[in-house]
Amino acid sequence: MGVIIELKDVSKLYGFGDATTLALDEVNLSIEQNEFVAIMGPSGCGKSTLMNIIGLLDRPTHGEYKFNTRSAAKLSSDKRAKIRRDTIGFIFQSYNLLPRLTVLENVALPLAYKGMSLARRMKLASNMLERVGLQDREYFYPSQLSGGQVQCVAIARALVNDPKLIIADEPTGNLDSASSRLVMELLGEIHKTGNTILFVTHNPELTRYANRVVYMRDGSIMQDETTVFGEVASTALKQMYSIPETTVEDDLEGVSALMKAVPQKAAERRPAPTQKKKKTSKKPARKTKARKRSART
Amino acid sequence: MSSVSRGNVKMAITALKSTKWRSLFTMLGVIIGVVSVVTVVGVGEGIKHQVGGQISQLGRDLITVRPGKLVNRGSAGGITGVNLFTNNMSGGSLNQQDLARVRQTNGVRLAVPLGLVNGTADDANGRPVSLPIVATTSDLPDVLNQSVTTGGFFAPDTTGQPYVAVLGSNAAQTLFHESAPLGRSFQFMGQTFFVQGIFNQFDTNPLSLTTDFNNAIFIPYTTAQTLTNSNTQLYEILAKPTDSKQTSTVVGAVTNTLAHAYQNQEQFTVLSQSESLAVTNNILDLLTRMIAGVAAISLLVGGIGIMDVMLVSVSERMHEVGIRKALGATNRQILEQFLIESTVLSLVGGLIGIAMSLLIDYLLRVFTSLTPVISWQAVVVATIVSFLVGIVFGSVPAIKAARKDPIDALRNE
Repeated sequence: MGVIIELKDVSKLYGFGDATTLALDEVNLSIEQNEFVAIMGPSGCGKSTLMNIIGLLDRPTHGEYKFNTRSAAKLSSDKRAKIRRDTIGFIFQSYNLLPRLTVLENVALPLAYKGMSLARRMKLASNMLERVGLQDREYFYPSQLSGGQVQCVAIARALVNDPKLIIADEPTGNLDSASSRLVMELLGEIHKTGNTILFVTHNPELTRYANRVVYMRDGSIMQDETTVFGEVASTALKQMYSIPETTVEDDLEGVSALMKAVPQKAAERRPAPTQKKKKTSKKPARKTKARKRSART
Repeated sequence: MSSVSRGNVKMAITALKSTKWRSLFTMLGVIIGVVSVVTVVGVGEGIKHQVGGQISQLGRDLITVRPGKLVNRGSAGGITGVNLFTNNMSGGSLNQQDLARVRQTNGVRLAVPLGLVNGTADDANGRPVSLPIVATTSDLPDVLNQSVTTGGFFAPDTTGQPYVAVLGSNAAQTLFHESAPLGRSFQFMGQTFFVQGIFNQFDTNPLSLTTDFNNAIFIPYTTAQTLTNSNTQLYEILAKPTDSKQTSTVVGAVTNTLAHAYQNQEQFTVLSQSESLAVTNNILDLLTRMIAGVAAISLLVGGIGIMDVMLVSVSERMHEVGIRKALGATNRQILEQFLIESTVLSLVGGLIGIAMSLLIDYLLRVFTSLTPVISWQAVVVATIVSFLVGIVFGSVPAIKAARKDPIDALRNE
């Protein structure tokens, strides 16, 4: 079992100057083949950014990312496109099927970019649809299907190239619990055939399907635990039954205070920040808060 | 790659169909451009054919002498240039002595004058009718290869007779509203003229350099001299050689005779019909090219329209571009997709334009005297040009789509 994903001190910054946002803060992560990893965390904690970087859709601002032991920084955009085509399957929260193509054409699209003949790619796509149980919906358009069905089509599309890695960014985010279960069971089955699966979720219940859960907050990985298949991860379980609490301090400072705290770390790395003094004065307070939070989780 | 391209063509057609009205309006520019270029070139080509037909009817051995220096001749006698913009009217006019000189030139069998008499004829109701009055002699039907089947042409000598006239077929209609108004009369310069004959229909063309004989009233030259106190200006002398094979030699001889008479101050142009044809074609080509050039600008504007709409379309579909890139489309494949779309758009526009030109060509033939000729070359060129317009103007939006970062494109909802 080789390491398929290796992130070393990966940071991602958005925007310029005062508007700079730190989406990922020196993340270190290593994922081996055939792992089924759930990534959890509140909105805006950098889960999606992490997924995009791992999926070669985005490039990190700092740090090194090795995909399949190859350094991603050196890859040309065409090479990245080919790797996405051949070894990565994407599943999105908003499905992202092309509305003007039929279900079958949508599933066959990655094969088209590979240059496969029409007959062959239609056959492969058809087989894949059969696998997700939608063979009788081949000539439907995405708008004619239910959310769960559409996501199954998206899964079929992600699988059609037989990718090593499947990245699912909140695959069940727009689905009801029954459809969610269907989608996750499907991912579980795929995992059994040897694929590496990475999925983002807000639902602690779904950690059941994973064998590893990574918790993120404010662009950093807070905790990384290995779990047993079929059981909800222990940390997630706690979160499930504890009422989310906010301290008085949080209420007073509000969201704006949290936002202010973030770019400050970026400023530390850059040589000449203008408002350095002001921010460093706030630093101890933020650190204790972070410690408090990690203790809570 | 080829199957991707084929899929792209299909996809492009689906995309264009899904925005039917927008696609149609986008194509409109190219359609108008192609229609105007193809029609203008077709009309020009048609007029050339008509001129050719007219000349073959008049006979290739017809020699025309006109005042003014219309062409430059090289030492060998060939035409080296056409003076389109010289004012050949101010170059003086021909007179009776010139007619006599042409007649006496070796090899000239017949020569007839053509003079314009100023004034308007009044029809039977006394209403003035604007028709050119041409003064000529009795040999005109012979020189023009044209017969007068209704009635007859006037005799060589009409002195002492009442004033007579021969009408072109359209002039007969205009003056008397009948096709054979033999023996009827009209007033001109206070005199009564009797209609002696009607010319058969002449082949004409809309851009003819000479007077339209179908619309003319012919009166004897002697009558005109009497009415104008021997001051009838000749705008043209028509001559026929004894041997039609010697036409160019006779043209040279007439030129020399007149040049000698005017001490080489060339104030006239002698042309054989084939040279006339060359001159006319020269002028027509120039005109056609000028108008087609203007029409081509509308094709350019059409291309810019395609670029605009494709730019909008690319921004609207940025999310789709993002999805495609996430699934592994390379920049080149995205570029190809949008290029094919713009090319299909302009090519379909071009084909619709060609179809409409054919329709307009038909309508022009039915409702006007024009007979446009749309050659297959014009159709092929129009198709290729609209294809190129699609590629050239589609490339900017296509490059924009292809270069977009996948994650930026995906965020674009």
